[in-house]
Amino acid sequence: MWGNHYSPDRKWGNILTMKTLKEMLAEARRVVPEEGPADLERRLKSGDKVVVIDVRDPDEFRDGHIEAANNISRGFLEFRIGTAVTDPNTPIVLYCQTGLRSVLAAKALRELGYTTVINLQGGYQKWVQSGLPVVREVPMTPDQIQRYSRHFLLAQVGDKGQRRLLRSKVLLIGAGGLGSPIGLYLAAAGVGTLGLMDGDVVDITNLQRQVLHTTADIGKAKVESGTRTIKAINPDVNVIALPMRITVDNVMDVITDYDLIVDGSDNFETRYLVNDACYLAGKTNVHGSIFQFEGMATVFVPNEGPCYRCLYPTPPPPGLVPS
Amino acid sequence: MLPGVVGLVQATEAVKLLLGIGEPLVGRLLTYDALGMRFREVKLRRDPKCPLCGTSPTIKDLSIHVDGGAACAIG
Repeated sequence: MWGNHYSPDRKWGNILTMKTLKEMLAEARRVVPEEGPADLERRLKSGDKVVVIDVRDPDEFRDGHIEAANNISRGFLEFRIGTAVTDPNTPIVLYCQTGLRSVLAAKALRELGYTTVINLQGGYQKWVQSGLPVVREVPMTPDQIQRYSRHFLLAQVGDKGQRRLLRSKVLLIGAGGLGSPIGLYLAAAGVGTLGLMDGDVVDITNLQRQVLHTTADIGKAKVESGTRTIKAINPDVNVIALPMRITVDNVMDVITDYDLIVDGSDNFETRYLVNDACYLAGKTNVHGSIFQFEGMATVFVPNEGPCYRCLYPTPPPPGLVPS
Repeated sequence: MLPGVVGLVQATEAVKLLLGIGEPLVGRLLTYDALGMRFREVKLRRDPKCPLCGTSPTIKDLSIHVDGGAACAIG
């Protein structure tokens, strides 16, 4: 029966009206500018606004993608782009596996009125070959989906932000007055790895403010009771217990493993040491300190803002200020 | 209670930095006065003469910290 449709006339007619894939791609390439992986890397590092969209299917995306990318598969692109990009002049970089699906997708977005749509030349494959970083998505468990459901509702966090938190590594220097609330809340929020560094043991005088520890913990290492409390709040958190003081001999080795350092120490010697080490290692240091009824907090980002020494060039003489 | 307030400012900043959202306290010092219950903000600038991050730094490694606390001698 199919034979009837393949009369010579019919076949000839189709060839006249059909474009070949090659022609479609060539047409798209004429109107869609391309940039290589290094250009995209530069855009992302510059901090300029850019929306990166991975147009592959969700399973390809999960297997590995560029961290900054949102996944909108090709089939849904025209329907969902309005939610992902509100200003049609925002630069959009599209990519797929090799750059073919995305060039066609980019042409479609241009036709919808998006003015700056760029195709990632060579696609994800070339990005990987260039040795640039990728992330793989570990599927969340049903428990995790429920636990973090309130984060998913926040547009600025969402599923993507939660995965990022779960991949993040934060070092808490001190498991005392500041480190306790920081540890509790970062654990609850689902920061995946928390380094807990403190050389002290729990003393009864700590309990009036150091809420990671309980009465039964008196005499135990603070990192031990801290680990137990954090794990009880959120078993997802990998706690790295470091039962030692931070010193000039260990600071560089310790901080290198973390994305972010949070200084909850209680003495000037440590604050200067953490400040200097974080600056030299290029790590952001979230600083906080308290004294009696006053407190302060700030963030030191190397070469973007001041450091602790810009703030206090001269440490107070020993003994003048209690720690 | 004071450490809870300051610690949670730090925790909030940590999450913002990890997610790359909002405006972190970079170049700003947030001070908290519990008795007056006042938060204040002080603008901070980089010090070009800073011995660590200034234009001609004198601290290029951690050697000043080697005899525990010698860092405090740095002016």
